[in-house]
Amino acid sequence: MRAVAISLLSMALTTVVLANAYYQKKQFYPSVVYITKSNPSMAVIYIQAFILVFLTGKVMRKVFFGQLRTAEFEHLMERAWYAITETCLAFTVFRDEFTPKFVALFTLLLFLKSFHWLAEDRVDYMERSPVISWLFHIRVLTLLFVLGSADFYFLQHSYLSTMAVGPSVQLVFGFEYAILYTMVANIAIKYVLHTIDFYSEAPWANKAVFLLYTELAMGLIKVVLYVAFVIIMVKIYTLPLFAFRPLYYASRNFKKAFNNVILSRRAIHNMNTLYADATPEELQAADNVCIICREEMTTSSKKLPCNHIFHTACLRSWFQRQQTCPTCRLNILRTPTGTRPEQRPQAQPVPNPFGGGPIPFVNPFHPLLNQNVQVPIPDLNQAAAQPPPSAPPTSTTQGTTQQGSVPPPFSMPPFMPFPFLPFMSPPPMPPTNFASLSADELRRMEGNERENVEARIKCLQNIQVMLDAAVLMMNQYSAAVATSGSMPSTSNTTQPSGDNVSSTPQDSNDSSKQSFEANVSDVSNAENEADNSNTEVHATSSTSEVSANGVSPEEEVRRRRLQRFQQPVEQQ
Amino acid sequence: MAGSALRRLMAEYKQLTLNPPEGIIAGPINEENFFEWEALITGPEGTCFEGGVFPAKLIFPCDYPLSPPKMQFTCEMFHPNIYSDGRVCISILHAPGDDPMGYESSAERWSPVQSVEKILLSVVSMLAEPNDESGANVDAAKMWRENREEFNKIADRIVRKTLGIYIRE
Repeated sequence: MRAVAISLLSMALTTVVLANAYYQKKQFYPSVVYITKSNPSMAVIYIQAFILVFLTGKVMRKVFFGQLRTAEFEHLMERAWYAITETCLAFTVFRDEFTPKFVALFTLLLFLKSFHWLAEDRVDYMERSPVISWLFHIRVLTLLFVLGSADFYFLQHSYLSTMAVGPSVQLVFGFEYAILYTMVANIAIKYVLHTIDFYSEAPWANKAVFLLYTELAMGLIKVVLYVAFVIIMVKIYTLPLFAFRPLYYASRNFKKAFNNVILSRRAIHNMNTLYADATPEELQAADNVCIICREEMTTSSKKLPCNHIFHTACLRSWFQRQQTCPTCRLNILRTPTGTRPEQRPQAQPVPNPFGGGPIPFVNPFHPLLNQNVQVPIPDLNQAAAQPPPSAPPTSTTQGTTQQGSVPPPFSMPPFMPFPFLPFMSPPPMPPTNFASLSADELRRMEGNERENVEARIKCLQNIQVMLDAAVLMMNQYSAAVATSGSMPSTSNTTQPSGDNVSSTPQDSNDSSKQSFEANVSDVSNAENEADNSNTEVHATSSTSEVSANGVSPEEEVRRRRLQRFQQPVEQQ
Repeated sequence: MAGSALRRLMAEYKQLTLNPPEGIIAGPINEENFFEWEALITGPEGTCFEGGVFPAKLIFPCDYPLSPPKMQFTCEMFHPNIYSDGRVCISILHAPGDDPMGYESSAERWSPVQSVEKILLSVVSMLAEPNDESGANVDAAKMWRENREEFNKIADRIVRKTLGIYIRE
């Protein structure tokens, strides 16, 4: 309403001015001279011209765009204010060439610019609407054609005039139209992409990638143009303040596009290398709907380490923003994956111990535990056989059974964790076929195996040291028993320990050391005939029997310690 | 075939139309543009907003399920988590990574798993239980904490206003 009033008022004013001039001068030429000489008249004429431009713009907008949406209008207004401010700044640089023609050219530039912005918004709107009419296509295509031709014409014109006359304000126009020309190209490419997507039957997964690279290329061209313009302007005129805001925005957009391309490439790379394609069975097991786009997953889909499945394309655009699982927010970059797709066939029987994959922790550990305890047994026997026969294994099978029948309170013995430390992470099971493994994998496996062997040897060494210690202690005991002949209990303790011991002359209180030694050798002979593998067990158990009735608390402590040493062996 | 954002919004619209959650109506203002929705939320029962029907506008970005929409009440609202211009401030509507205050963990924020329905349900529970820790409207947060009666009075006035009932003073 106000716009109509202003236009009418302006019309009336113009009519008054023209009528006044004609009334005063009566002829055409003098009236024109009169008007151009009179400032108020010129002002009225200028205002009228602007209003005409505005009206033309409205008509063209109606033709090409129909009704503008609110968002489009707001966008247009915002950009228009910036453009007007920058135009005013440009006027200050070219104040010597400030003529009506100059103003007219700038107005025309602004006019064309606003149509470029609208075209851009309109083409972006294609993505938002499910109904795209033929009218829309015709409008956009004609508009793009008209804008492109206009840009090209003005670009050529300013180039030719700059070549002919030398640098002038035409430089600015040429540069501005070059920018607009790239904008038209950008819009056209987007339009083509959107149209292809709109009319294709299946969702076009790679459209986002194409858009990304278009953005990157256009951003680069714009930045180059702006930088070139600023450099030329600085050389010929002065610092073009009015070009700094667009230069900043162009470089920021370019940087953003560049980052996006990098992130997108990284996401694609990650998905191709790290995550397995979801199999049809897995898709069946899940509810088969991609939670990102809410559509069925029939095309390519990926499974993340957290077992959530998404479309490859959806996942890619999400990973471009954030490297987390959309469902459980698991940081996928920090989680090493156990399911490399190319390794899958061979790696199947090998639960990968390096990754944090879903490894059943108990299963590999259990056989290992048994195996680990089993292995030392032959060595243990040797170790037991090695010590000199001075060891007093006075008891026999009976003692063993007695010991074994007493269920040892199987709390973890204190020394247990020490030899087991290297196995806290379960080592891998060897695969059946080594030929199917690559050299690198073999090396990795071998390296780990070496660690295992070393750890096992270390474990055995520890056991041997402890056995040696036990034997030493045994010697001390026997020595103590031999020297302290005054104690009557010793005879009692040795007596029930075995049948073959019963004949030994231990019942006498003052039994000498020699006799004891003889006894020991006797016993050890008998032992060799009997179960060989139980030697050590007998030795220790007999010791414990010996000290069972011992009076001193130190002996009691020693006995307990020995019993604890013995427990792992007894598990067998 | 339309873009993925558009298809997802259409799917959600269908879902919301077929199985509307209680007390919530939502849909595009104009079916030619699926990126601007209007929603009607009824005040949760047993709260000071009970009985009110609050209109709101949802604006979706082009990359919708990847970025959160914006929500703004188009009626007058007085609530600790709603700015005086009607914009809603809840963590589910904040994209992870740009937390201005630094008090929200990323687990509460936007992810493509969320949907319009979940947003609106969160808003309903926000109406029932304001979070006075993150005050978008400091006056409302202060009044909610210190002068609940006055808050309830204002809420009641707003409820009546949304229903078109005016109190005779």
